[in-house]
Amino acid sequence: MNNALVVVLLASGVAYGTPLLFASLGELLAERSGVLNLGVEGMMLVGAVMGFWTVQRVHVGSGALALILALVVAAFSGAVMAAIHAFLVITLRANQIVSGLALTIFAGAVGLSSYLGSDLNLADVPASRTFHPFFPSTMQNWPIVGPIVFGQTPLVYLSWACVVAIVYYLARTRPGLNVRAVGEAPGAADAMGISVTKYRYVHTLVGGAFAGVAGSTFTLALTPQWVNGITGGAGWIAIALVIFAFWRPELCLVGAYFFGALQALAPELQARNISLGPTELWTNALPYAATVVVLVLVSWRGASRRLGAPAALGVAYVREEA
Amino acid sequence: MRNRKLALGAILLVVAAAAAVLALGTSPGSARSTAAFKAAWIYVGPHNDGGWSQAHDEGRLYVQKMLGSKVQTTYKENIAVGTQFDQTVSSLRAQGYKLIFATSYGYVTPAVAAKYPDVKFEQATGTLVSKNVSEYFGAAEDTVYLSGMAAGAAAKCNTIGYVVAFPIPEVIRHANAFALGAQATHPGVKVKLVWTNSWFDPSKEKKAAQSLHGSGACVLGQNVDSPATGQYAESVKVPWVGYDSDASKFAPKSWLTASVYNWGPYYLKRVQAAMNGTWKPGFYYGNIQDGFTKLAAYGPGVSAKAKAQIAAKMAYLKSHQNAEFTGPLYDQNGKLRVPKGQKMQVLKGGTNSLYGMNWLVKGVIGSPKG
Amino acid sequence: MRLTIERRLDQPRWLAAVVPVVSVAAALVLAGIVLLVTGHDPFSSYRKLFDAAFVQTGSVGQTLIAATPLAFTGLGAAAAFRMRLYNIGGEGQLYMGAIFGSGIGLLLGGAGGASPGVIAAMVAAGCVGGALWASIPGVLRAFFGTSEILTSLMLNYVAGYLLTYLIFQSQSYWRQTKGFNATVFPTGKPLPSNAVWPAWNVHAQGGIPIPLGAFFAVLAGLVLWVLYKRTRFGFEVQVLGDSEGAARYAGVPVRRKILAVMAISGAVAGLGGASQVGDFSHALDGDPNGLQKQAYGYSGIVVAALGRYNPFAVLLVALLIGGLDNAGNTLQGADFPSGLVGVIQGIILFCALGGEVLVRHRLRVARRVAATPELEPVA
Repeated sequence: MNNALVVVLLASGVAYGTPLLFASLGELLAERSGVLNLGVEGMMLVGAVMGFWTVQRVHVGSGALALILALVVAAFSGAVMAAIHAFLVITLRANQIVSGLALTIFAGAVGLSSYLGSDLNLADVPASRTFHPFFPSTMQNWPIVGPIVFGQTPLVYLSWACVVAIVYYLARTRPGLNVRAVGEAPGAADAMGISVTKYRYVHTLVGGAFAGVAGSTFTLALTPQWVNGITGGAGWIAIALVIFAFWRPELCLVGAYFFGALQALAPELQARNISLGPTELWTNALPYAATVVVLVLVSWRGASRRLGAPAALGVAYVREEA
Repeated sequence: MRNRKLALGAILLVVAAAAAVLALGTSPGSARSTAAFKAAWIYVGPHNDGGWSQAHDEGRLYVQKMLGSKVQTTYKENIAVGTQFDQTVSSLRAQGYKLIFATSYGYVTPAVAAKYPDVKFEQATGTLVSKNVSEYFGAAEDTVYLSGMAAGAAAKCNTIGYVVAFPIPEVIRHANAFALGAQATHPGVKVKLVWTNSWFDPSKEKKAAQSLHGSGACVLGQNVDSPATGQYAESVKVPWVGYDSDASKFAPKSWLTASVYNWGPYYLKRVQAAMNGTWKPGFYYGNIQDGFTKLAAYGPGVSAKAKAQIAAKMAYLKSHQNAEFTGPLYDQNGKLRVPKGQKMQVLKGGTNSLYGMNWLVKGVIGSPKG
Repeated sequence: MRLTIERRLDQPRWLAAVVPVVSVAAALVLAGIVLLVTGHDPFSSYRKLFDAAFVQTGSVGQTLIAATPLAFTGLGAAAAFRMRLYNIGGEGQLYMGAIFGSGIGLLLGGAGGASPGVIAAMVAAGCVGGALWASIPGVLRAFFGTSEILTSLMLNYVAGYLLTYLIFQSQSYWRQTKGFNATVFPTGKPLPSNAVWPAWNVHAQGGIPIPLGAFFAVLAGLVLWVLYKRTRFGFEVQVLGDSEGAARYAGVPVRRKILAVMAISGAVAGLGGASQVGDFSHALDGDPNGLQKQAYGYSGIVVAALGRYNPFAVLLVALLIGGLDNAGNTLQGADFPSGLVGVIQGIILFCALGGEVLVRHRLRVARRVAATPELEPVA
């Protein structure tokens, strides 16, 4: 029962979709405030390497404490990277796309994260502490829910809590509603006394923190080692995911697990001797093609208001002086 | 007006600073005028990837250690196949490096070799041999076979999983060697393949390992470069055979052994030949006899009986080259491909050569087309 | 004291020239600090960079090789970005141009020296391939209002997987299937000899080969400049870029313009792909460790932005960034971690971006204005 293709795919989808979920939640927050940050891959890698460094080099008593500290360090590192982008595009009003790309070059697999990994001698060593599933194995073996829900690491449960928190934040809290205004009509928000600059900064930095945690999901749970470029392009998928999810956190979860499951599809089909043509090509390309289809639906005239991209996404806000 | 003056001043300052920098900075050519022979290595991945490139770098360090101040070595990492390789060679050559080890297929093309006739190229895993291009590789299949024996002996069921990269002859012959070795200690065992289409991708490899384990494999092996399969094996308490390096630290309980490349001695030989003018292009195919490939140290899961069997076979392979691929060999469909007593050549023999092998042996589950 | 950034009313010409210079200088200072902190000598590192890009034997030739694709993707990005059409699909459009260009070259090519006819066909095919691929986000934007930023980005991945599939996972027309080497490792079929693009050799520095593609890039820059500055088309594009509302009001056919600009942008990038095959690789390169690792498309966007979307500036910036990339290869080694190269490049980009703001805005330090005293009501 638990070996059925669907169950295995869902369980894998949840596990491998988790970094995508964290990163897309962060990018969602930044984009809701109107800032497009294409540097997610770079931020994830820096978070991954710094989180790994923490468990390897910082010695605190218990394993749990070390892992929590590692997450904090990863989040902080991601936020620092995001701060560069934030300063350039919010204060200096530079082009957001180019700044994000520059951040990817600066922090990514040919930049800072690679340098830190090699200078701090982090390669070719297993993580000294990793996240493990903490439910007892009897529960993990329950039919269907066992592997999908109880066989996951605490990071997965943390991501669920984050989804709930962000849904609540955006829909029910004053700042959450404000940030939506900032992203849709910054001029109006400004006139209402909301500080556009402050909201954009905060959300971009928080976005970076989420990206950092997403990166450390790789080095502390999924493939617990440091290797240059270990995230393998997950940051770009996360950017796509935000759009695929219509900028809604709960749909980010669905999308992340969908993408994750698709990535686990090819090896599963091979192991089960099922051949569906050029599987490698279409399982790789499907998430991206699917996103394009969704994008078309999003922007179809009438739908866009409801399903919306923040109207002021990617546009620097300039207050008109009276 | 004032702004304009400021701007002009700024430009002058910058130009002056630039001139100072260029004057102060030591030109790379002038700094080191030693008589040391310069050799360079070019890697497709990071030099410390714990797998393929790292093994080459260890070979480089061996040369540096053995020849000390007589040789100056360097490496370039993450170099893409194509124009970036060309650029790297050009700049190495301008800095006086005349022997270059290109450690990935596709690096040295006839065009590049012709463009730099005064540079000696050593290309790994390729087939081009010309005036200034030499090829080198070796029979990892010798020790992959032995590692397969360890896997077979450790298998408590009838399926072994093997994570493989690209469906090319190099990988196919390794998979075949692994399967033949497993069948030697565990007759009737099946080896199931999952292709990742990448030499190094921890995420994909772990997924492949999970799929294999989920479909019944009780031992996991690999012909890819990261230890992700091993980390997964350790977490589900399943024995593991690695590849390319001793990665036992990643899975201390599951670790069995691995086929390891030992590039050092070949590198030393070639650097010395280039140094004393006796370098000639050729096609080197090392094997277990000359120490090109070794078996990594055993883990706790290899029984004494298995060790004895492997030791015996190792001695046999050392004195009977390429014995693991000596006929009779049957393919997946049961057809006899290599008749009894016939050996497979490295290059000659079409699909019955080591470099042309595109069929899987009986007992392997999976498609040789990927 | 408050720091405000206000828009300049006029943008003096000299500023446009000074700012990039000062930005790069600031970048080198910042990067120099980073180098010092990490234990490297900034002076010799910079000297090495400069030598490697322009002075060493063969360096100018290599810089040109690195700059040529960047020129194409930079011009392509600039052509679209000028109109606020953010086509970041240059990467995928380059791949499609390579596929189409090499396909035509294989089909029409034959023996003998370089044939103008075959090369012209490859040029056309490359443009068509890139234009078609860019038209997908173009159509989606023009007719459905879909953001071209994300559609073009997604299609980069699809194009990349297709490229790898053609060589690694299928026995396609592009794949070399004859000969022993073909069985050892998947490679592309080599172009017939009259489809190989010639290079013009300049006798300096040990021989500098100027690839044919470089000439095409300059030509493309010229064509784009004329198109945007001297034709009605260019004028309408300018208006559309400034304000879509004003353009509609003025009767500019918006949809057609979007389609046209995206197609042009894709065509230039696609030509870059054809140049990659014709000038350099002479076969379709589907290796994930090859063309796809170079990220020419994304670097082209950076080049375009730094050149402020002016075709001639873009060509110059492409040369400089090409030199920087080439030099980075030289700088890295056993004594210089390759990651630091990316850090330095990133710092240069950040400073150049930051400097941009000073061209369009100026910093003003304002003293806090004293509160006006309240007027007392007259009793």
